[in-house]
Amino acid sequence: MSAPFYIGYNAKMPPATAAFLRRWVVALFVAGAGVAVALAGLQHRYGDGQFEFGIVKSFDGIISESPYPNLIVRRPIGTDAKDVRSRVLLVAPGKHGAQELVRGLEGRAVTLQGSLITRDNQSMIEVRPGTIAVQAAAVAGDDGVPLGNFTLRGEIVDSKCYFGVMKPGNLKPHKACAIRCISGGCPPVLVVRDADGMAVYFVLAGSDGGAVSSDVLDKIAEPLEITGEVERQDNVLVLKAEPGTYRRLE
Amino acid sequence: MTLAYQAISWNRQKRVYDTVMAGGVLTFLAVFVVTGLVLHSEITAEALLIRALGTGAFLLLNVVLSIGPLCRVDPRFLPMLYNRRHMGVATFLLGAAHGGFALVQFHALGDVNPLVSVLTGNTDVQRLSEFPFEWFGLFALVLLFLMAATSHDFWLANLTAPVWKALHMGVYLAYAALVLHVVLGVLQAETSPWLVGVLGLGMAWILGLHVFTGWREWCGDREHAGATADGFVEVCAVADIPENRARVVTLGGERVAVFRYDGKVSALSSVCRHQNGPLGEGCVVDGFVTCPWHGYQYLPETGASPPPFTESVPTFAVKIVMGQVWVHPRPNAPGTRVEPAKIG
Repeated sequence: MSAPFYIGYNAKMPPATAAFLRRWVVALFVAGAGVAVALAGLQHRYGDGQFEFGIVKSFDGIISESPYPNLIVRRPIGTDAKDVRSRVLLVAPGKHGAQELVRGLEGRAVTLQGSLITRDNQSMIEVRPGTIAVQAAAVAGDDGVPLGNFTLRGEIVDSKCYFGVMKPGNLKPHKACAIRCISGGCPPVLVVRDADGMAVYFVLAGSDGGAVSSDVLDKIAEPLEITGEVERQDNVLVLKAEPGTYRRLE
Repeated sequence: MTLAYQAISWNRQKRVYDTVMAGGVLTFLAVFVVTGLVLHSEITAEALLIRALGTGAFLLLNVVLSIGPLCRVDPRFLPMLYNRRHMGVATFLLGAAHGGFALVQFHALGDVNPLVSVLTGNTDVQRLSEFPFEWFGLFALVLLFLMAATSHDFWLANLTAPVWKALHMGVYLAYAALVLHVVLGVLQAETSPWLVGVLGLGMAWILGLHVFTGWREWCGDREHAGATADGFVEVCAVADIPENRARVVTLGGERVAVFRYDGKVSALSSVCRHQNGPLGEGCVVDGFVTCPWHGYQYLPETGASPPPFTESVPTFAVKIVMGQVWVHPRPNAPGTRVEPAKIG
């Protein structure tokens, strides 16, 4: 027996066809919901950084421009510890570094406003343009402490997204964004994981200690091996190596 | 069938169709977002929305691609095909929302124009694993847009059927591009084998369904090998054709629908002029051969649509000898009147 004939421009479809389709639509809804649960549940590599979007706080410290803008503060952000220097990387809104905002302020004590970005033991401030107020004349900055030469394996990320602005802020899905951010001046950071999966962060600089942003754009979000000199600048580890010597890991 | 073009000729069935479809899409998005928030409290709303919209668009495209072959398996699926273009447009809108949010999230507020960033940000085409997956997504979105924008019968008529059909076969290209978009994008970071399994299952379903129905079509398209006399070919017994329905045979490489109705038999092309629908799987309604896909109608004796419509299909000479139907395989010009063979 052939199925009842269906014509779409009629007011109603044949009852047998309607009953058949109702069963399939219910099955499709259930299957769709199941797939939604499975796919949403199985994707998990988002990262646990925090971005205090819309929350603007005031910060005091000394500006350091190299290799990337940072603020030297007297205590780690978010703790009560005293008499400890800590460096907080600075970035501008959007996919931009804070180079233009702090130009010429090397060594000056300032007050600025911005939103905090944190992940693990790393801190960053998205500076609100126009809020940097110079409080005192320039003072001599401290030199970093050389820790020796190391060969490190990890992934280059743009620190702003990885520390909390984007979820996820690394690997292939975020690669193009990381290229844009680092191209715009956000500090490139090598994320190295130890055997327990704990992350150690190295701000990337050239062998002369200068910024390398434009030279690492084709090496972002993929496994790399970098050999260079590690220098401790307060709480920040800086890895000095020429980008041409970075080695891709297959 | 309508004579004047309207954006959408709304009727109750269309409203039900769109309501159910919108309900399904919203249910999927809601379940995805709620599950994501419950299981991954660290995720941001925009990231969750981007993934929910992209996943929803891809899943809906799987449904769209399933409808055609499912209708070949069971004609009770035909109501899903009648308004399939609505589902295609919904797929494009979901994809556009996914692409739009991703464009803002990953490419806006930078040192170059966001669209330039999509095309020039990652240009590593030497290694497959690093290939810019965004290009495949953008390519698929352009194809989905072209198909959504030209899905109306106005474009079918003005682009001509072959061009329109070729353009809309691009849906398979879009599907392939989206598979690459997923494999070279999110699956490079999310490495759960279950995710790969779900994608593979969808691909196997689409491919299997098309291969199965294609094989059945191919078997049915084999040249009919009946007896011949005076140029006519014996195709079947009159009793083999259900009343108001057709028997489809392939003669001279063409699908010919032999309809039995009202004590008569007529033969005409089985290919509807609208979207190449299977006219031979249609039915005679109110004296007209009616296409099962979108209800286009033709007079069985002439192959012509009733005035004021102008579509017409080729007809074939037909006769009945000793209860057997004989058809001449040479097609007459579309709309040519052929005297039907009388039964008994």
